[in-house]
Amino acid sequence: MAVCIAVLTKDNCPLYVATDPTEDALKMHFLVHTSIDVIEEKLSSATAANDPRDLYLGQLYPNEDYRIYGYVTNTKIKIVVIETISNPLKDARQVFSQVHSAYISLVCNPFYSPGETITSQPFLQTVTALMRGKAIA
Amino acid sequence: MSRGRGAVDPKRVSSELFSLTYGCMVAQLLKDFENPEEVNKQLETMGYNIGVRLIDDFLAHSPSVTRCSTLEEVAEVLCKQGFKMFLGIVPEVRNWSSAKDEFSLVITENPLAEYVELPPHCQDCLWYSNIICGVIRGALEMVQMDVKCSFVGDTLRGNDSTEIRIKFVKILEDSLPAGED
Repeated sequence: MAVCIAVLTKDNCPLYVATDPTEDALKMHFLVHTSIDVIEEKLSSATAANDPRDLYLGQLYPNEDYRIYGYVTNTKIKIVVIETISNPLKDARQVFSQVHSAYISLVCNPFYSPGETITSQPFLQTVTALMRGKAIA
Repeated sequence: MSRGRGAVDPKRVSSELFSLTYGCMVAQLLKDFENPEEVNKQLETMGYNIGVRLIDDFLAHSPSVTRCSTLEEVAEVLCKQGFKMFLGIVPEVRNWSSAKDEFSLVITENPLAEYVELPPHCQDCLWYSNIICGVIRGALEMVQMDVKCSFVGDTLRGNDSTEIRIKFVKILEDSLPAGED
């Protein structure tokens, strides 16, 4: 079960950070922030030739309580998912692709400008459901 | 986009492109006019201009459509052929008035409003798909029918269904142009 899902723009501004209420939100924000460095490093070291689109970056770095996964879209939108070691996610890739799909539906809304903080209800509901570990149809 | 698309018929446009184009147009109108009521009027006017041209295209491509003698026939042709040809949907005709001069079109899946969420300040006043009302009014005017067409509900605004109310006003007689007698 994910305890935090964050969506960041290509300038690393947070568009949306959702944290599980049982966890300390500040700590989650801090972990997301530190993971930005790791993502940037992975992006700059990977060459364009051998990287597929929609980079799934895998586990970013080890931490004693949490596992942190990263994902970058080809428009440089970064998605970070944090899960606890005690309650691991079954399939992080699927979570990322569902967040990505929700983000795409959000961007197709003509009244949403890319770069604005996300307040759209369907997106929030999808992310909350994903955090609880419920698969989306 | 992570959705795949198969081979596309070159004469058809992807419905996503169509929805996005319409959405951008409504968003731009909202930025320009800032008043949702004014945007509704503009959409209706644009729809009217489309409708007066579209009717000829529709009649040319539907040789089986004959002259309609009742409003029921008009409603039938409008839904089963008109909407089907241009939007790919078939609305339901419901709620006929007792005098049979008014009816509702209920649209279940509106292709114009895919992925759209109305911003909070427009939630109560903007009819997002108002262009459709204009198209119906314009098209019917060119076949000598004067109708009043307006939205009464929209799923984007939280109503149960997207419903357009069409009211027949009168048959238009061919009138002489001004200045001639």
